[in-house]
Amino acid sequence: MEKYSTVSRSIVHMDLDSFFVSVECLRNPALKGKPLIIGGSSRRGVVASCSYEARRFGVRSAMPIALARQLCPHLINISGDMEAYSKYSRLITDIIKDDVPLFEKSSIDEFYIDATGMDRFFGTVKWAGELRQKIMKESGLPISMGLSINKLVSKVATGEAKPNGQRHIPYGMEKAFLAPLPIQKIPMIGDKTARFLTDMGIFNVRTLREMPVEILAAALGSNGVALWKKANGEDNSPVIPFREQKSISTETTFQKDTIDVQFLKNVLTAMVEKLGFKIREKQKLTACITVKLRYSNFDTVSKQCRIAYTSSDHTLIKKAQELFDQLYNRRMLIRLIGVRFSELVHGNYQISLFDDTEETIRLYEAMDKIKHKHGSLKLMRASSLDLNMRLKDSIPSFNGNE
Amino acid sequence: MKFIVSSSALLKQLSGINGVITSSPVVPILENFLFEVSEGKLTVTASDLQTSMITEIDVESKESGSIAVPARILLDTLKNLPEQPVTFSIDEDTYAVEISSDNGKYKLSGENATDFPKVPTVSDGYSFNVSTDIFSKAVNNTIFATSNDELRPAMTGVYMKLTDTNATFVATDGHRLVRYRRVDVAEDIDHPIIIPRKALNLLKATLPSDNTNVNVEYNATNAFFKFNNIQMICRLIDERFPDYENVIPMDNDNEMSIDKGEFLSSLRRISIYANKTTHQVRLKITGSELQISAEDLDFSNEANERLSCEHDGDDLEIGFNAKFLIEMLNNVDSKEILMKFSAPNRAGLIFPKNGDENEDILMLVMPVMLSNYN
Repeated sequence: MEKYSTVSRSIVHMDLDSFFVSVECLRNPALKGKPLIIGGSSRRGVVASCSYEARRFGVRSAMPIALARQLCPHLINISGDMEAYSKYSRLITDIIKDDVPLFEKSSIDEFYIDATGMDRFFGTVKWAGELRQKIMKESGLPISMGLSINKLVSKVATGEAKPNGQRHIPYGMEKAFLAPLPIQKIPMIGDKTARFLTDMGIFNVRTLREMPVEILAAALGSNGVALWKKANGEDNSPVIPFREQKSISTETTFQKDTIDVQFLKNVLTAMVEKLGFKIREKQKLTACITVKLRYSNFDTVSKQCRIAYTSSDHTLIKKAQELFDQLYNRRMLIRLIGVRFSELVHGNYQISLFDDTEETIRLYEAMDKIKHKHGSLKLMRASSLDLNMRLKDSIPSFNGNE
Repeated sequence: MKFIVSSSALLKQLSGINGVITSSPVVPILENFLFEVSEGKLTVTASDLQTSMITEIDVESKESGSIAVPARILLDTLKNLPEQPVTFSIDEDTYAVEISSDNGKYKLSGENATDFPKVPTVSDGYSFNVSTDIFSKAVNNTIFATSNDELRPAMTGVYMKLTDTNATFVATDGHRLVRYRRVDVAEDIDHPIIIPRKALNLLKATLPSDNTNVNVEYNATNAFFKFNNIQMICRLIDERFPDYENVIPMDNDNEMSIDKGEFLSSLRRISIYANKTTHQVRLKITGSELQISAEDLDFSNEANERLSCEHDGDDLEIGFNAKFLIEMLNNVDSKEILMKFSAPNRAGLIFPKNGDENEDILMLVMPVMLSNYN
């Protein structure tokens, strides 16, 4: 009994090769061909992106920078410029938007394109290949792609095509393509699951596929079933067109774990101020605020709270401080602090009759004008002043951008 | 104890006061009506501790006594009985209640009347009389502007103050404010109170439409309303009402007059296209033209209309929550309205242009901050 339509789809996955590194090389051609990593320069920093030259030394993304340096002593480390990366990401989105009616931007450097039906006119492989060439020509950035009947297989194919390549998995060949690959190639299998499966004697996708699904379900629960489907190359998830941003967040890992509550609160205030300006600039309001803390032992706790739609700094700062006070109840060092605004809607701040005075409204208006004109770091609360350097150094989370 | 009463007459009285009873009261006994019979009169009380309503009805009875009767079952029974005299027999030891009608017998278990909380009385109070018609108007004109925010209890009720020259009713939720003033009701009391919204809603529902008199009596903690054979007592909100006089701007001299009906129906249409959460609309007054527009970026919806108006002042662009404007205009009983503005980030005022000369209505609404970075 077939529930879904059996018409086969054509899904293209495109992924920019070591995106941040490519952008840096484009901006400074002297960096080309050198082992290069992007990541915070502090002691705590991790590798956000690394060039293929650096990978040859065993450097991987998400690796602590100190370790990367040990592996490759002549490594070049750039702290990264999110604004520039966002700009290039937008540029590529625009190129794709010109040619493609249905696509999904799944992260800053990844796109899914639904090319179903294109074969009637152009031949999907040819069409997608031309689009890829066009992107590379117009942006100057290398991009790899995979083409198959669904998102999963295409993504794996892109991984196999990298760097700077393309791979087409013809209809019916999905299982044969996946079978010899090591299980780690399947998205969703992280270090822990991989180790678990390896302990069970499962090393490649073929073995995983040939496992009775009941055993996987017993061992891994519902995840086991999902995993088994993936091993079989099954994935019905649709390509979801670009959606309005529903949340915005920022977080920072301290150079050194801290227990200085006043300092933590100041960081929190500065973060809320930064996000508050961002949502006001985009004419949005938030109805939910979340504060996240990570203790030095990596225990991560978060607490959220619904509020009336607002974008006013003093309301948000007050709420964030309250959440922090409720959350921080262990006398333990803090490693990371973060804030998120979610349930964003379009709209402007509704002025209150008794809580806002004319002076504060004018003050906020004037402050936002200055921030808009000269940058959000030019004007801030005095308590945020000395923190600014540290916050600027940390790599912003990608959630908030794009 | 035994008494006989007409089923429909009893139903009518009970329906009038049933609104007080909440579905899950603080103490279970409050799911009951308190029946007290003496000298051929049945007094029924319903309460939620904050508000209590009492009504009286003549019954045939030789004895006196009291019992608490489950409200839901009793009302459902009476609703489904054809009009006829019914007999209530109450066993005062077991609190068993038996209702006999021509159709048959119904048994239910009541509760000890002495467990029913005692209804407070007003002593050392101030008192005044007002017609139901005027009182209903005052309530209807203000109650919609009260707040739901339980964290700011003062704003969840309507402020009332009587002086020797007028009576003032004020409601606000922090974003808008209505001040309803009448010069034909005056009493030298000068002691303001805040009446909770629930009590006023109940009054609204039970005040008779024929013009009778309401006697209002109150002290610092309770207010007492009496009309026909119904009485209501409510606990007042013991909070300081925000200093509303100070936030009403005096220097709004950018004036616009417009036909209320046209403005209201235009707002209704435009707000369909506004964001469903913020209901944000933009008013742009240039010369003698008012442009109303809204957009919902999530759905690429947008709308705009132009109306002609009389305008005296500089051109102005100001944003509002359309829901606020619509609710306010819905309550204005005047063909034309006058709006007074000063700046896009300051309060706008709405006045009816032609209304009852005894009435003085002022409505205030705060704008949304339209940020333009140009």
